[in-house]
Amino acid sequence: MAMLAQPRSARAFLSDALQHCSRMAKALRDWFQEAQREREARGRKLLTEWLSPEQWAQYEAYGFFDVTGSDTGRRYRIRHGTVANVYEVDEAGQTRAGWCFVPNGNLVAGDVVLAQKIALETDERGALAVANNLEVRAER
Amino acid sequence: MATQIVMNQRGDSRYNFDAKDAKALARAERRFKELTGMGFTAAVRTAPGEVALIRKFDPTAEETLFIPRLVGG
Repeated sequence: MAMLAQPRSARAFLSDALQHCSRMAKALRDWFQEAQREREARGRKLLTEWLSPEQWAQYEAYGFFDVTGSDTGRRYRIRHGTVANVYEVDEAGQTRAGWCFVPNGNLVAGDVVLAQKIALETDERGALAVANNLEVRAER
Repeated sequence: MATQIVMNQRGDSRYNFDAKDAKALARAERRFKELTGMGFTAAVRTAPGEVALIRKFDPTAEETLFIPRLVGG
């Protein structure tokens, strides 16, 4: 009898262990997702505080906003994102060049686009000096 | 109440201090020097949507934002 009970008990133990691991994994995933939501919310709040009302309205409507370079007066379009999201645009809004520069560290999108705005509006040459120039496709 | 906002992996960290309190002001100035020494850029708002960079601690600034050094992406 004992020999028959042993495998069943082992199976039950394994089943319990797997269920426990599954619950732990779900709790960890939920915690990580909640932490990520909080990070994103903080970044978004900061962005709302520092964009101009016009820039915020544009960002809310289209997912990008325009800034004017401090040194050349050129117009740049900053899209929501954390990489390859800055484009120089002409008066018609056509893309002329792409630039990739980001603040160091693993920051949320709200922080990244705010840092890019401030850099272009206050030290355009300095920002472009560290930026990588992107190949611009037919993207508009 | 004045605030120093530091962009970081958590979104940001905010340090509030009373600018009329000499000790708190000294701590804020130390934080300013530490962060800018580490390569952070300090910025203040001059009007809605308008920003200016500052190189020296401004004890009258209501809000100072610290941005990590920019790198090519």
